[in-house]
Amino acid sequence: MGINQKEIEKKWKDSVEENLKRFPERKETFQTSSEIEVQGLYYPENDSNYLEKLGYPGEYPYTRGIQSTMYRSKYWTMRQYAGFGSAKETNKRFRYLLEQGQTGLSVAFDLPTQIGYDSDDSMSEGEVGRVGVAIDTLHDMEELLEQIPLDRVSTSMTINAPASVLLCMYIAVGEKQGVSTDKLTGTIQNDILKEYIARGTYIFPPKPSMRLITNIFEYCQQYVPKFNTISISGYHIREAGSTAVQEAAFTIANGMAYVDAAIESGLEVDSFAPRLAFFFNAHNNFFEEIAKFRAARRVWARIMKEHYQAKNPKSWKLRFHTQTGGSTLTAQQPDNNIVRVTLQALAAVLGGTQSLHTNSRDEALALPTEESARIALRTQQIIAHESGVADTVDPLGGSYYVEELTDKIESEIEGYLNQIRDIGGAVAAIEEGYMQREIHRTAYETQKRIEKEEEIIVGLNKFKIEEEVNPELLKVDEELERQQKSKLRKIKNERDNDLVDSTLKQLKWAASQNGENLMPYILNAVKAYASVGEICNVLRKEFGEYRSN
Amino acid sequence: MQKIRVLVAKPGLDGHDRGALVIAQGLRDHGMEVIYTGLRQSPAQIAKAAIQEDVDVVGLSSLSGAHRTLFPKVIEELQSMNAGDIPVIGGGVIPSEDIPFLIEKGINRVFTSGSTIEELANYINQLVVPANSQVAKKISHIGIAVRSIKNTLPFYTETLGLSLEGLEEVESESVNVAFLKIGDSRFELLEPTSETSPIHTFLEKRGEGIHHIALDVEDIETRIRHLSKNGIQFINTEPKLGAHQTSIAFMHPKSAHGVLFELCEEGGGEEA
Repeated sequence: MGINQKEIEKKWKDSVEENLKRFPERKETFQTSSEIEVQGLYYPENDSNYLEKLGYPGEYPYTRGIQSTMYRSKYWTMRQYAGFGSAKETNKRFRYLLEQGQTGLSVAFDLPTQIGYDSDDSMSEGEVGRVGVAIDTLHDMEELLEQIPLDRVSTSMTINAPASVLLCMYIAVGEKQGVSTDKLTGTIQNDILKEYIARGTYIFPPKPSMRLITNIFEYCQQYVPKFNTISISGYHIREAGSTAVQEAAFTIANGMAYVDAAIESGLEVDSFAPRLAFFFNAHNNFFEEIAKFRAARRVWARIMKEHYQAKNPKSWKLRFHTQTGGSTLTAQQPDNNIVRVTLQALAAVLGGTQSLHTNSRDEALALPTEESARIALRTQQIIAHESGVADTVDPLGGSYYVEELTDKIESEIEGYLNQIRDIGGAVAAIEEGYMQREIHRTAYETQKRIEKEEEIIVGLNKFKIEEEVNPELLKVDEELERQQKSKLRKIKNERDNDLVDSTLKQLKWAASQNGENLMPYILNAVKAYASVGEICNVLRKEFGEYRSN
Repeated sequence: MQKIRVLVAKPGLDGHDRGALVIAQGLRDHGMEVIYTGLRQSPAQIAKAAIQEDVDVVGLSSLSGAHRTLFPKVIEELQSMNAGDIPVIGGGVIPSEDIPFLIEKGINRVFTSGSTIEELANYINQLVVPANSQVAKKISHIGIAVRSIKNTLPFYTETLGLSLEGLEEVESESVNVAFLKIGDSRFELLEPTSETSPIHTFLEKRGEGIHHIALDVEDIETRIRHLSKNGIQFINTEPKLGAHQTSIAFMHPKSAHGVLFELCEEGGGEEA
């Protein structure tokens, strides 16, 4: 063993000790079923490449994971995305999931909320409460979070263009519960770039959108320091049809664009970078997925340390949430999806994810029923408590195949990053349509391979059966749209409308001043019960709207 | 022949357009002209685009669950713009139990997850272009205007030796009809029952004689759409109920070099 490795090994062992004080291991000893002892980590001696490429877990470049003991101390957060219909109904599902042992909340919003329209807007017709919960005003948010202690539960919100508005509502509810902002934990997705690329819930053009995002970074660093201010998402890029490499590469490119924008706005890299989080997909090609996570961690660490010169190791760490691949699920023989989800979830765990959502078997057909959502959660619990894969860190580290694949993916990611840099960065590449074209090309090739049966999807193009695809599905009450509209009308009548007007006027002024941070203005409007649509309309007037070509 | 023109549209706020984009490209590779609307289109915008682009078929894609509201709205908008004849098909995440509802609202067909582009392209082809380029396999009948069936009938039954199949009144045309079978075809003797009957007008202008030739077609609506698209004018573009529960439509003689042709679909034809 070289001197260097010995020193670093000692440093790693110290950090393990340090970590164990805060997060003791789950068991006194870990054993296989044959009572063979399982160590926390297996690693080579006398391997000159090891430190350079892998390093110890919790140590740069984090190929093996961002914590020294990983799941030996604490499992990943099991976080199921949920939300449908009214705030009250969703609140019931949340409380059910928390009772079932889920450890964090994840809120799905309906499309009008995500695109900044009120439920009574003509654009919202037919969409209210469909794919998530409808939130118009603070009143809905209060119902959504009723009896959920915000100082103890972390909440992830899938909200992008109006992320600032929903975060302000969350802060306001916390205040009413007596929870100060510095105790709030959770994540807002707040990743507008992938909306232009793949997901489609954009409102404003890139420039003012990036301003809103950096405003959030700045505000949270000061007042909501434990909140993840962005979840830079490859998930939707993958769902739109990209390869694993494209997913990782475009996500990292977007991440760099956010870092650039924040630095340009005058923030110091280590002041916001530790709160950046990522969100990846897990598809079926088992080892490729694991290698993707490991490669992404290594690439991001190098970029943050070497390119952006971040000094705080927390800025180097790529922390990520994973969701299993919705587009891999089939409407045919839906129970087969449980097996797909299991493989994908296992890949995410072996890839070192920090939190995980497992999809429900019926998601190719509709929103999941309670029973399907429970099976999905149980899948994670079985992996955690029964399989033993969480008992040692990065169990596939050192596998010839996985390491080779990790290296290869890393170099292909770098190839894409160079190309995007030559175009002028992620924002320019999106405006030019480069990423969209790349993803579409892959999506179309995939479809052709499936139709030619070069790619086999069990139950879809092979091993088919005659079936009535008619399992019990979750239905969203069609009455809900009407009820939500009348609720909104009532709030608009009862609130102090002069106060609403004056807070919106102040917001309008602030939006026209480039140097103003919009967060305090939005918070004031939210507290006066101004609606998501009203706030976004003020900003639409000032910022304009994005149109894709 | 002209390329089939397809409008692929995303109604509502749903941003998932992988399916729409893949289908657009796939149909292009099947030789069709595809116009993609982009995201967030209202039903009215979609109907307007369908008319402006003069498309043969509209494909709607939705994954958000709003299909029950938005798909029928597109049909309504097309109808209100006098373009109800443009067929509309749908796709996306659509529970099978919703499909009968959508069909009832006028969606021609719903393609859900797992459908292939091949299937879709074949369907559109047969929806827009009739499977057979020959419009009809045979002559259904030859219509002959007479002043009085009673006086004319002996010539056909006795002189020509044909057998009388039956007599029927067709209210939509204000005529009595006598059918005389000849091989796989028929003669139809048409006698006006009132002065408003087109046969009455014909007799006044030209006297007795051959009135029209009826062609036996399948899927009359597709035929009408396709022939209209190729510049043929119809006297009635919506098929109406003819004798023997057939669906019928007349081509304008101006479009057919002086001959009045009738398209005639036997049995199973929808009531007009």
